Amino acid sequence: MSQTTYLQAISDALRAEMRRDPNVFVLGEDIGVFGGAFKITQGFLEEFGSDRVIDTPISESGFVGAACAAATVGFRPVVEFQFIDFIACAFDQIINYAAKCYYRWGIPMPVVFRGPTGGGIHAGPYHSQNPEAWFAHTPGLKVVLPSTARDAKGLLTAAIRDNNPVVYLENKFLYRHYREEVPDGDYVVPIGVGALRTTGSDLSIISYGAAVHLCVEVARTLEKEGKSVEVVDLRSLVPLDRETILSSVKKTGKALIVHEANITAGFGAEVAALVAEDAFEYLDAPVRRVASLDVPVPFSPPLEMAVLPSVDKIADTARHLLAY
Amino acid sequence: MAKTWPKVDLPDYPDQISADPRQLSITSEELLKMYSAMRLARTFEEKLAALYRQGKIFGAVYLGTGQEATSVGTVSQLQDGDLFSTVARNLSAWFYRGVKPEHVLARWFGKDQAPSNGRELGLFLADLNEYGIFPYHNGSMASWIPAGAGYALAFKMRKQPNVCLCFTGDGATSPGDFYEGVNFAAIHKLPMVIICEVNQFAYSTPPHLQMPVKHVADRAAGFGIYTETAFGNDLFTVAAAARRGIEHARKGNGPALIEFKTFRRCGHGEHDDMAYVSKELRSFWEERDPIAMYRRWLVERAGIEEGNLTKIEADCERRTDAAVEYAESVPFPKSETVVERLFAPSPHDPTDDDRNRGVEPIESPAIPALTAAQDRSAGGGHF
Repeated sequence: MSQTTYLQAISDALRAEMRRDPNVFVLGEDIGVFGGAFKITQGFLEEFGSDRVIDTPISESGFVGAACAAATVGFRPVVEFQFIDFIACAFDQIINYAAKCYYRWGIPMPVVFRGPTGGGIHAGPYHSQNPEAWFAHTPGLKVVLPSTARDAKGLLTAAIRDNNPVVYLENKFLYRHYREEVPDGDYVVPIGVGALRTTGSDLSIISYGAAVHLCVEVARTLEKEGKSVEVVDLRSLVPLDRETILSSVKKTGKALIVHEANITAGFGAEVAALVAEDAFEYLDAPVRRVASLDVPVPFSPPLEMAVLPSVDKIADTARHLLAY
Repeated sequence: MAKTWPKVDLPDYPDQISADPRQLSITSEELLKMYSAMRLARTFEEKLAALYRQGKIFGAVYLGTGQEATSVGTVSQLQDGDLFSTVARNLSAWFYRGVKPEHVLARWFGKDQAPSNGRELGLFLADLNEYGIFPYHNGSMASWIPAGAGYALAFKMRKQPNVCLCFTGDGATSPGDFYEGVNFAAIHKLPMVIICEVNQFAYSTPPHLQMPVKHVADRAAGFGIYTETAFGNDLFTVAAAARRGIEHARKGNGPALIEFKTFRRCGHGEHDDMAYVSKELRSFWEERDPIAMYRRWLVERAGIEEGNLTKIEADCERRTDAAVEYAESVPFPKSETVVERLFAPSPHDPTDDDRNRGVEPIESPAIPALTAAQDRSAGGGHF
């Protein structure tokens, strides 16, 4: 075990898999000589050479299509998007090539699409988005969002070894703002298993990604008010750990869903529907959601903080539910 | 009022194959194999169109009538281990490579035929191991140019002396994917060969509304890659141009863009009556039908007994009829299988043990704040 940042955990997992398996290679913009905009791949070019650490032209659709193809003939490419916002430029290849290949012809495509998501760093509309719902809505893609350094390592290891396209969404605020003890050596977190961040009996807060941190803070605040809150971290949206969601809600009778992406048609709506369909008789209050407002993520700090979910916004809604 | 068409400048393509059989080092067995693949595709597609009109085919039907020489001439130049992709109009390339007509028709019928088992249309086939046909995304015909670059990259990384060949069309040289794929392949000198069949219409849109240059080959200058433009209905002109492009790529000199001028003698699909194509243009290309030209050359120039050809033609009819019989006999996929094969099994798929991990706490949550000064988390600075 060693104290590791979320960013270092991603880097460590990627390096370990590249050492373990010569078929793993990475490609993306400025990942070689520069070591990546956030330095995930710093030192990789020196260690693995330019065949396996490929600085691409600025053409996401081109290098994503190429990576997908290489994945069907024995390679395990890991594509870095400099900011996840630019994944929109490769949308067609991911939706229409990667997601459907195995279903169409039974040819597996083990490729990872990873990159930094999220706001809170005052980067404006094109460097702050949370695109998970776009991909969770497309059959054939796994969608993973680690909230901790341990999960960042364990889920990336699982994603690279997975035989399917995996959209691995990192949070850029957590990169250097979160560190914890991370197991050394081989460490895998299976894709499709949620985590309990706190246990409790009065309210379930279901979340994923960086928003889990806000929810844990809320659980601590409410604990001081004598309330017992359970925080469920989904970790992956596809496959979805329905059992963990339902068993928590059946225990507490109240569900609050929190994510950083904007609220309308966000993944929280899917979780709310699941709870309404399969745990209705256990509910003692309406299912509620806290998420970003339905606007692009603005630049100016007061505007940005007004858009994003916060500890206060979540705590207010949680108190309302607890009092219901 | 009679319909008028824009004036078409007809090219000066010959209506017969010019190759001297004594100069070609091709066995008569190979000559007949090529004829058989082209003829089988034509016969099969005529049957397919008839079945469509009888309402026996689900969805639409797309034919490659008139483009058989570009398909067969090109794939005849591939070697073991090379990969290629096709468009809807390269059925003759499949047949040349050994794809079974009965399997193709079973897929057209939506039957439980591997590898798609009813999940994909009959005109899209990927089978890396059996035929070297790589999986591709067919939303747009430009979309598999990046994939072609990826297969070529895989060959280069493995130092494997193979090429990846991508069939595409004139319309497909407009989307950005075409440029992104060619650009990547050109930068890394990847062994990719693009075969662009300029069949005169992208659905109904002619080349002059598709591109500001006269030839697709003119687009290659931006990448500094090898390019040729050739008449696509002369089998041996096609084979020679394809061979030069393939050899260029195989030697590690980077991608090649080979443009063949040909003509789609049918509609975009069988629902399309081609009302936008002038009679003049149709007649010009009918007189240059690649199969008729090749047949005439085989008999008149290459000394092939006509009886050999009529035997092949009868065989194509028989195989097509047998394909219908086979396709009808294959069952439909069971509807309950529809959710199967979405994800490939993976080494760390969750087990019941994984679901009992207990609480995995977050000791010091990281919370974004209004200002860096308010930031209570372990990091510092915004990135």
